[in-house]
Amino acid sequence: MARSLNELRPVYVVGIGWHRYQNPSETPYVELGLTAIRSALADARIEWPTVESSYVATALLGMASGRPMLRHLGATGAPLMHVENASASGSTAFRHACIEVASGISDVALAVGVDKRNPVRRSDTGIGNLAEDAIVPFTHFALLTNEYAVRHNASTEDIAQVAVKNHRNGAKNPNAQRQQERTLDEVLGGKRVSGSLTALQCTPIGEGAAAVIVASEDGIRRLGIDAGRAIRTTASVGRSERVYPPGAGFDAALTKETADLALAQAKLTPGDLDIIELHDAFTVEELHYIESIGLCPEGHGVRMLKEGALDIGGQCAINPSGGLIAMGHPIGPTGIGQIGEIVMQLRGEAGPRQHGGARTGLAHMVGVGAVCYVHILQK
Amino acid sequence: MQPNKLLKPSLYSEGSSNRDGTTVRLKGGRCRCGYVFFPMQTYGCERCGSYGDALTPYELSAEGTLLAEASVHLHADKNRLAPFTIVKVALDDGPVIRTLLADDSPPVTPGQRVTGRLVPTTQSESGETVLDLRFSIAS
Ligand SMILES: [Zn+2]
Repeated sequence: MARSLNELRPVYVVGIGWHRYQNPSETPYVELGLTAIRSALADARIEWPTVESSYVATALLGMASGRPMLRHLGATGAPLMHVENASASGSTAFRHACIEVASGISDVALAVGVDKRNPVRRSDTGIGNLAEDAIVPFTHFALLTNEYAVRHNASTEDIAQVAVKNHRNGAKNPNAQRQQERTLDEVLGGKRVSGSLTALQCTPIGEGAAAVIVASEDGIRRLGIDAGRAIRTTASVGRSERVYPPGAGFDAALTKETADLALAQAKLTPGDLDIIELHDAFTVEELHYIESIGLCPEGHGVRMLKEGALDIGGQCAINPSGGLIAMGHPIGPTGIGQIGEIVMQLRGEAGPRQHGGARTGLAHMVGVGAVCYVHILQK
Repeated sequence: MQPNKLLKPSLYSEGSSNRDGTTVRLKGGRCRCGYVFFPMQTYGCERCGSYGDALTPYELSAEGTLLAEASVHLHADKNRLAPFTIVKVALDDGPVIRTLLADDSPPVTPGQRVTGRLVPTTQSESGETVLDLRFSIAS
């Protein structure tokens, strides 16, 4: 019979590292990736040859970018594979690194995400479309913003408060691409992009890298890793879009079914979550997804936001890293960086953006297609 | 009179002409499971996986209800100059589609009835008028 991740042997995150997310630069991806991996190895206090398998998440680097990067750590001959799953590439790489360790095939595995902002290329399906060339992601989400605002009587100012919060969190994160607090006036007064969305309500274009190392209990013992800083992955779920009723928002519907499965797997309810890192590429998404995850009924997200319930120190800190809006969204690294942030929070090592008493965190990503990945980590 | 040239003839066909422009039929499809989709394809049904003869052409009316609109202020593609407005429309025949609002349409809000028409958009090199689908408030 099929089993879920938490019915296999326990798997823990033991090392986390980043290369800061930043504006596009001349820095080669190899340098970005190596910086993140070496910092994750140092965090775990283990050497590269102990890593038995690598999952390299990238969406925009083209074919076989992993080995020209990993060889500079010393070519150990360990297997590697590339994972491309749009915005969820990093989350997918993390899931498969966890599965490999939980299954017993390896004791120590690496998930690393790295990307440079190259043009997105998608192949023609052979099916025509009316005007998809005119509907880039920010317009897809501008349409959803308009629907949400009308259905739930939310104002442009209400929705933009998501960006104010996430810029405030990002300002305390040295790995964030945007590290500047922004007032509501600054958020709303910025460059208009599409519908009511302004530039500061949209994720920036950028580059960077994030790495996590996962290990089994055997691996932790054998390598003398500090078990007190190891954070267990208690649920992993991946899903793809189904046919929903006409007019239903597929991003939110897909998030709901994926999050429900993950919470059931970890035997938790939404109220148990202390931290959520979610796919806030555009402000309205944060409201949609906290409602889909079940933090509050549909349409009540703005109220929680205004009450401060989603702040660091509130009922459940949403995107304490700054999220995609402030920390950034270099694509391949993003889902792995979310895991790193949750681990840092659950260890109590998040410094000025520490959410007090955090014991349970959920990471959520959607990717065009659409796919959705949810992981739960617990202390 | 020459028939009008259509920008995307695989997606729609010309209906009758009236003073509001040329009416349009959308080239959708229907699976034997009952699922109605747009545009027509025979790769397979997204709901049940049937393919080939199970999927047949099914004309859709371009009448529907507006679900959402967005005025695009910034667009990198030089072939499509901003500003323009994108509408998301629940067709009366089932599928939800997204396309452009007619340039001459008054502003629209969710819940309003809208209609698709074929309107002159570009002149081809030979000077003929090319029609493309645009939505506007139902008259
Ligand atoms: Zn079917």
